[in-house]
Amino acid sequence: MGKGGFHLETQDPIIRLAIADKFLNLARANSLWPMTFGLACCALEMMAASMARFDIARFGAEVFRPSPRQADLMIVAGTVTKKMAPTLITLYEQMPSPKWVLAFGSCAISGGPFVFEGQYNILEGVDKIVPVDVYIPGCPPRPEGLLEGLMKLEEKITGTRRFPTPEQKW
Amino acid sequence: MVKAIFEDIRKKLNNIDVKEIAYAERGYHLAIEANLTDIVAIVEFFNSKGFYLADLCCVDYVEYLELVYFFNNHQKLCRVKTTLKLTPEKPVAPTISHIYTMAHWYEREIHEFFGVYFDGHPNLTYFFLHDGIDHYPLRKQQIPVPPEDKKLLNSFKPEEEEDYFSINLGPQHPSTHGVLRVVLRMDGEYVLSAEPVMGYLHRMHEKMAENRPYLQFLPNPARMDYPAALLFNLAHVTTIEKLCSIEVPPRAQYIRTITCELNRIASHLLYLGSFPADLGGLTPFLYAFDDREQILDILERITGSRLTYCYFRFGGLYNDIDDTFIDGTKQFIKRMRERLGMYEKLITKNVIFINRVTGTGILKQSEIPLYGCSGPVIRGSGIPFDMRKVEPYAAYADIDFEIPTGHTGDNMDRYMVRMREMEISLGIIEEAVKKLPSGPYNAEKVPKKLKPPKGDIYHVVESTRGETGVYVVSDESDIPYRMRWRVPSFSNLMTFPALAKGTLLADAIATLGNYDIVVPEIDR
Repeated sequence: MGKGGFHLETQDPIIRLAIADKFLNLARANSLWPMTFGLACCALEMMAASMARFDIARFGAEVFRPSPRQADLMIVAGTVTKKMAPTLITLYEQMPSPKWVLAFGSCAISGGPFVFEGQYNILEGVDKIVPVDVYIPGCPPRPEGLLEGLMKLEEKITGTRRFPTPEQKW
Repeated sequence: MVKAIFEDIRKKLNNIDVKEIAYAERGYHLAIEANLTDIVAIVEFFNSKGFYLADLCCVDYVEYLELVYFFNNHQKLCRVKTTLKLTPEKPVAPTISHIYTMAHWYEREIHEFFGVYFDGHPNLTYFFLHDGIDHYPLRKQQIPVPPEDKKLLNSFKPEEEEDYFSINLGPQHPSTHGVLRVVLRMDGEYVLSAEPVMGYLHRMHEKMAENRPYLQFLPNPARMDYPAALLFNLAHVTTIEKLCSIEVPPRAQYIRTITCELNRIASHLLYLGSFPADLGGLTPFLYAFDDREQILDILERITGSRLTYCYFRFGGLYNDIDDTFIDGTKQFIKRMRERLGMYEKLITKNVIFINRVTGTGILKQSEIPLYGCSGPVIRGSGIPFDMRKVEPYAAYADIDFEIPTGHTGDNMDRYMVRMREMEISLGIIEEAVKKLPSGPYNAEKVPKKLKPPKGDIYHVVESTRGETGVYVVSDESDIPYRMRWRVPSFSNLMTFPALAKGTLLADAIATLGNYDIVVPEIDR
């Protein structure tokens, strides 16, 4: 079963268009539209990434959409509480396919510093409720982290990396 | 003031157990032990004297539950702690929500977390916790919630009346600054009623404080109020220092003042970007973030992080500042003074901006004690009340600065107060840098494992949004028995339903954006 030409569970296209698919993926990877969806502290770093210094627009991902119906990338920036989880699922389902999820920060990855014995209010990792494509660690991650995460996602979509990985000199 | 109130209580209310307390040790002047029959009379007495309800919290001592009411006065500092003991099985207390409007929310919070019932409360429903909760989280023993009690507000229930409709503002909405949800009942474009629903970011900070040593709780306050992380860090650190009587060297006090004021400007810059954005003008956002990055650069060099700082330690700092920091700060002050002139031309004198914010969201001075709000919100209404002046901490006692105030209490006044505050903060930093003493930056012989003496303490810090109070109860172990955070946004937001009523939706959004709320701080 599919919706909008995409398989509901695997997110793969139902009809493959061979070479045209490659072209479409290239277009998708270079114009990701994230949803304006800040949960907690990490949202501020997400905002910083879209401002002048880090300039997310260089990678075509600056069009933050307040409506999930116009977005194809959900950046889960912050702690997901049990009260917020149903809303998050609704938002994810409202996004048209193909869609991707970035878990931004320790809280979205695993609950971060708020995991302890007897915790009663947070979800330990957003991947328990929605499929996550890229994980960006940090508390909060730096904006450069988000940019690197975006490039990882582009790599996942197109199969090739936009820039070569910088050589590690330490 | 304290003496006069002391005598007044003696005269007006007979048989009341009122004691004078050593203020320097405990952080409050008077302590009253009330009982179920006279608590309402006591609260009415304080209301008639113009006191505001600073905080209402609960402590579970297993044998009994204790409600703690803190009253304070805007004219002259006089903090009164009133306690009321309750039985742990089916605890019932009389409501004070008909006297102080703010008590509505405090009582609902206590009902959720401790299971205390308030007799006569009009709407004792949940608004913090999720549907699946089955016990009272902050009770020391696991006590199940009775099923008939879970009148939760999580699901959206449309009204059945004709001509009106309900809309959900949030939890995913760009102008709620995070995950606040407001249920609005609308008549066309006009707001009939607005009811905030919180708890979408309740991260159990108060519960976490109860299961880890004082030192391990250090990173948490920064995550409560992330735009002004250092100020919350300072609130925690100064409270514990006061409780353990640790002397902080003057150099550390000055560095704390400088870094805190830098952080305050960074937080106000975020407001300066997001408030016009709520009104539809996205340009200032880019300018404000540009300046904010300069501050983050300066602070990052010494604290090691960009946002959630954990720089202060008990008795001092994590590390000392150097000349590069001081040069950078001086350069920033020079740059920021020029930029403030530009902001005035860009935003303050913009005709659309002026028309949108002047005369909307008026908070009258007479209503403020009922809500107990603080910070720029009350200063905009003309009350010159600033904890930095009233109860100086760090190095604020040695530095001369003025408190900006507004006149009418509309959105424009609150905006102007914040703009002036940025200028004043620059002055404070300049003076503190000039006076910066040399010497050690850490107190000697602070034990790694702090074991404060038995007792409680209430300490207040002026954060960007207002009065941030920490109430700590110690039982001589290295883990706090109870740590209560009194947060400014919570009481500031309480005025929103009253201000939004009868206004256009767009004006209500302007008011909400103007309050500069931070949701993790409200939810804790």
